[in-house]
Amino acid sequence: MTDDSDPPPLPSDLPSDPLPGPQPSAARPEEEFPAEPKDSWAEKAHAPGPEVPAEANGDDELVVLAKGHLHPAILLLRLIDALRQAAFPAILGIFTNPWFLVAALTLFLMRLAYSVIRYLTLEYTLTPEELRIREGLLHRQERRIPLDRIQDLGFESTLLRRSLGLAVVMVETASGRGVEAKLDALSRADAEHLREVLLTARPAGSTSATIGGSVNSTTASSSDPDNQQRDADGVAAASPPTPEVEWLVHRTTTRELLIRGATDMRLSAFAVSGYAAYELAHQLGFLTQLAGIANSFQNWVTSLSPVLLMALLASLLFLVMALGIVTSTVGNLVQFHRFEMVLRGNVLQRRFGLLTTRQKTLPRARVQRVTIEQTWLRRLCGFAVVKADSAGGSRTDGQDISAGWDVVVPMTKATTAHALLPALLPGIENTKFTWKQGSRKLVARSAMQGTLLAGIAIGGLWWRVEASALFALLLIPLWTAMGVLVWRNLGWARGEDFFALQHGIIGKNFACVPTAKVQAVVVRQGIIGQLLGLADLTVYVAGGSPTRIPDLTLHDARELCIELSERAGIAAATDW
Amino acid sequence: MTGPESLRPPKRLAARVVPYWILGDGLTSFLLTGLAWFLGRPWLADNWEHWSPLLDNVLLGMCLGALTLAFCIPPLNYARWRYGFVGDLLLMRYGILFVEERAVPVRRMQHVDLVRGPIERVFGLATLVVFTAGNEGSAFRVPGLPIQEAQELRDRIVQMRGDGRL
Repeated sequence: MTDDSDPPPLPSDLPSDPLPGPQPSAARPEEEFPAEPKDSWAEKAHAPGPEVPAEANGDDELVVLAKGHLHPAILLLRLIDALRQAAFPAILGIFTNPWFLVAALTLFLMRLAYSVIRYLTLEYTLTPEELRIREGLLHRQERRIPLDRIQDLGFESTLLRRSLGLAVVMVETASGRGVEAKLDALSRADAEHLREVLLTARPAGSTSATIGGSVNSTTASSSDPDNQQRDADGVAAASPPTPEVEWLVHRTTTRELLIRGATDMRLSAFAVSGYAAYELAHQLGFLTQLAGIANSFQNWVTSLSPVLLMALLASLLFLVMALGIVTSTVGNLVQFHRFEMVLRGNVLQRRFGLLTTRQKTLPRARVQRVTIEQTWLRRLCGFAVVKADSAGGSRTDGQDISAGWDVVVPMTKATTAHALLPALLPGIENTKFTWKQGSRKLVARSAMQGTLLAGIAIGGLWWRVEASALFALLLIPLWTAMGVLVWRNLGWARGEDFFALQHGIIGKNFACVPTAKVQAVVVRQGIIGQLLGLADLTVYVAGGSPTRIPDLTLHDARELCIELSERAGIAAATDW
Repeated sequence: MTGPESLRPPKRLAARVVPYWILGDGLTSFLLTGLAWFLGRPWLADNWEHWSPLLDNVLLGMCLGALTLAFCIPPLNYARWRYGFVGDLLLMRYGILFVEERAVPVRRMQHVDLVRGPIERVFGLATLVVFTAGNEGSAFRVPGLPIQEAQELRDRIVQMRGDGRL
């Protein structure tokens, strides 16, 4: 435990605790960035900043900023885990073979011993350079993570852990593996302390990198990196007056979460509710009766008028849909309960969750791409989700529900979402974007693709269904219409340090990539693209999925490719 | 350096990459067609009652098609492949149906590999693999380089990065 150093008063509570400050209310939606520091936040934040207890360790003359073990209460959790694991073989042993009982006991003891040993041996040490985690009795390992490689320090706390005052600390690096090390679990005070110390101990350069807008294509390569760094720091430090003050960037209201749930048209939700219905029927023992009922049901169905049958089916479908919406709404409410994002210095912090509370920090300099996503339903309502990819975090689109790690704002008005961008990408507010539309040939490309598809379909189906195959010709107008929609929604813009893209068919997605973060650029031409002189441009960054702009003219694509990659090369001189 | 024309990478691969591709990449299709024609066909003709001359011809066509492709794709691919440095960008341009042009800034490269397979070694060729940070599509390959050239290219990248971090 960090008894040797009093953890500083917590600057903030976990979101589960009742806030003394302003309660989130639907009536105050204008609490976004740039917000005045809320009194309560500011006061709390003015508590003595994390004073780093730098003490020399006599043994190896190491400056230790923080040091500690896991919280002893974790043993209780492990005990519960072990009991739960042993329960099944134990029950088996009672009712069948007593040997299972022995197996259960061995399993239980082994797990318990493992947990105790792990608890006793695990020790973390934070030095100004790195975080060390040492563990193991027979198989010893010491993991050292350089501080400037740490992307995020996330907290997670399940209901059980929270009731014991524990939090799981997750250390993320850019290795692409996501969570690099997991401390399960520290007391909440220790966890907060660790983060405070980490954030202050982190070398200044690592958090501010190059994103501050100082990437000037003409001077960056020649001027010395120190100058650059100071520039970047200056820009970064200019927005908040003191690094310790917390700025409330965004707080999601329950209403917004309700909208998020209601507009969540994911198929999985339907599948889950369908399965739940089936499971319910199964539990109630209907299935055995069902076989008998099926026959009479068949007779009954055939006796019904078609109109009634359709109505019945429709209402059933509606029921399933409603159930899906309810599940996703509840899921969203639980997951993103009291979501709020604050800005401290140059680090964004998100806290959310009802049962499992999560705290996730995101240094702004690590943001690789920000997307504002609107599915068609949300576009109709004018709402959007904001996500940020950070280096090392991988995700595919639509995967957010599992962890919500990359969600920066779960749901807000689209206009608000755009207004929030400067908080995530400092410098974007000064950037002038000149938007360009995609090439009109896009529609032609889409139409040709439709024609090609129709041709294939007709060729394949003709010998089977003959003239009916001509229905495949409908593909042509369909694809043409889609081309028109895509073209209407497509737009891209190049600012000085940013690159923005807007695309969608019936939904609308906005993506913004700092040019300094670009890793590589690819121009790709398909068969039809070669005929029409169109090309796709794909921009790779160090995290998340690549950003793809479809159907630029080859000239535009090449120009953009060269420019982006050159800027990336220049920016890389000062970045890692 | 701003005109789109500068995206044209200057260099071609070594010409002997064509026989290498035919032999190396074509090997699987040679094996498969051989198996299908000399083992599969007699076996099917003996044991499958629905086997007909029509199917025989279809199989023949497929085998011949696969063989032609194995011989035709490498020269076409070779004709399209270009790579090279322009400034401090490594440019690549390749592909038959789908043409890709890739630009990787040297400073973004995390590490560089030289890969040489057994058949590649016979031909004295090497593949340069360049990695950038990131998960998806972070590896970029330049195949069919003469070994000397590949080594020079790698050394050049290391030199251009100039910080000994490679």
